[in-house]
Amino acid sequence: MTTGLKAPTPASFTSRLHSPAVAARVGVWLGVCFAVAFLTGLISHYAQNVSQPIPFPTSPSWGYRVTQGLHVISGTAAIPLLLVKLWTVYPRFYARPERDLRRLAVEVLERLSIGLLVAASVFLLVTGTLNAAQWYPWDFSYRRTHYAVAWVAIGALIVHIAVKLPVIRDALRGGVDETEHDHLAATRESGLSRRGLLNTTWVAGGLAVLTTAGSTVPALRDLSIFGVRSGDGPGGIPINKSASAADVTASATSPSYSLAVVFGETTLTLTREDLLAMTQRTETLPIACVEGWSASGDWTGVRLRDLLDLVGAPRDRDVAIGSLQQKGAFRDSLLQGNFADDDRTLLALQLNGEPLAIDHGYPCRLIAPNRPGVLQTKWVSTIEVST
Amino acid sequence: MSRVLLLGLGVLMGVYGAWLLLSRQDTDGNLAAGLWLASGVVLHDLLLVPVVLLVMGVGSRVLPTAWRAPVAIGVVVLGSVTLLAVPVLGRFGARDDNATLLDRSYGTGWMVLAALVAVLVVVASLVRSRRGAPVGGRDVSSDVGSGVGGRDGDAEGA
Repeated sequence: MTTGLKAPTPASFTSRLHSPAVAARVGVWLGVCFAVAFLTGLISHYAQNVSQPIPFPTSPSWGYRVTQGLHVISGTAAIPLLLVKLWTVYPRFYARPERDLRRLAVEVLERLSIGLLVAASVFLLVTGTLNAAQWYPWDFSYRRTHYAVAWVAIGALIVHIAVKLPVIRDALRGGVDETEHDHLAATRESGLSRRGLLNTTWVAGGLAVLTTAGSTVPALRDLSIFGVRSGDGPGGIPINKSASAADVTASATSPSYSLAVVFGETTLTLTREDLLAMTQRTETLPIACVEGWSASGDWTGVRLRDLLDLVGAPRDRDVAIGSLQQKGAFRDSLLQGNFADDDRTLLALQLNGEPLAIDHGYPCRLIAPNRPGVLQTKWVSTIEVST
Repeated sequence: MSRVLLLGLGVLMGVYGAWLLLSRQDTDGNLAAGLWLASGVVLHDLLLVPVVLLVMGVGSRVLPTAWRAPVAIGVVVLGSVTLLAVPVLGRFGARDDNATLLDRSYGTGWMVLAALVAVLVVVASLVRSRRGAPVGGRDVSSDVGSGVGGRDGDAEGA
């Protein structure tokens, strides 16, 4: 260590694990993870859009549960993959700039795109993981920023693939021990072979999924030691926002509680007893949170369409669902016409045979098929049909 | 040709993302997002990777040959999974009013996993040392010395 502070160069990294043959193979699966996360993320944001030119489908009822589960699973699997991928290409971080001005310009552009790709990728995986654990140590809007950065990441990823395509092709066509595109210095045998490093990466990615996915895949519940939720909760389902956090405990348990169903000039006021006296239906529907956890329950209550018929609301109208909650981004939600008319959409009064717990939305909550959990409004106080 | 199209598509998507990023929240929000974007790269490239290189470099000096690959595998697997479990291990998002959130014994889970990985590493290493030194097992994936300390070339690897 006599030359202590001299900056390393790519030649300082001599392990033959630093090879495009390794990077391309990890990169393919990393790309698959990012593509799945991007597409499922787009689906999730569209499902939460108030305006939907193409109506979001109400079937299958478990659709959003699967897409959002996949979103978090693919993002989680990508963490070990990204770490290994960046480690294999790390020597390039220390590449000396080109002397030729035109080459330098190209190199600066490429480095800029790589810098954006790395920044955006790390950002997405870190903020996504923290969001799943409801840890928000930042001052920006998570939802908007995660969404915008996802476009930057995928854009930079496509640029990266376009730039590297010839090398990727060669690397994937040749064997894993091919050295054609390796740095001349990267020849030292390691204890770990290239195949060994790849298998290690797949194991790490698989373990990342197994130890977390139980929050949405019931079969993995016991294995998922790092799952954000065990799956326990009142009525057998976890909760996201409690009644006390929403500041509705008093109003939800007040004897003066009533539900208003409004269409134009017609307003119908119902107590919880009135709702219980109506025809009760039971539907098995999942609660699927944007944070990736989900759970299926047997919900019993009044079919929303039955209520809309009572005020003479025509079919295919948007319905605004209002809550007792006074503050917060998701205190109310808009139910598109196809969801309002679906027979499975309930104003639930019971969950798994028990009266709805206050943290699940007592006196009554909305539960609709194939709908993001944040839009399954709890502590419902108003149902207003658009005119 | 297809590469040019890809390049164009990528640039368009990236520009759209940048526009979304800048136009949908106030300056403070943008500054905070920028800080987090930059910190990720800096912490990864200038802290995490050098630490990994250092650990592997130390490992390659201290460990007997037969132990190097199993230990490297164990470090990669346990290290990456531990990193992604930091938010639940610290229970930073836990709330008094919600007993269903972060409701597992994460520390116990981690110790069981770590013990399991350690046992597998030890067993694999012992099996390997009984069979004699593996092919090409001189030095576990270590660039250290070079990567962190900045030595050109790699004396201990040769």
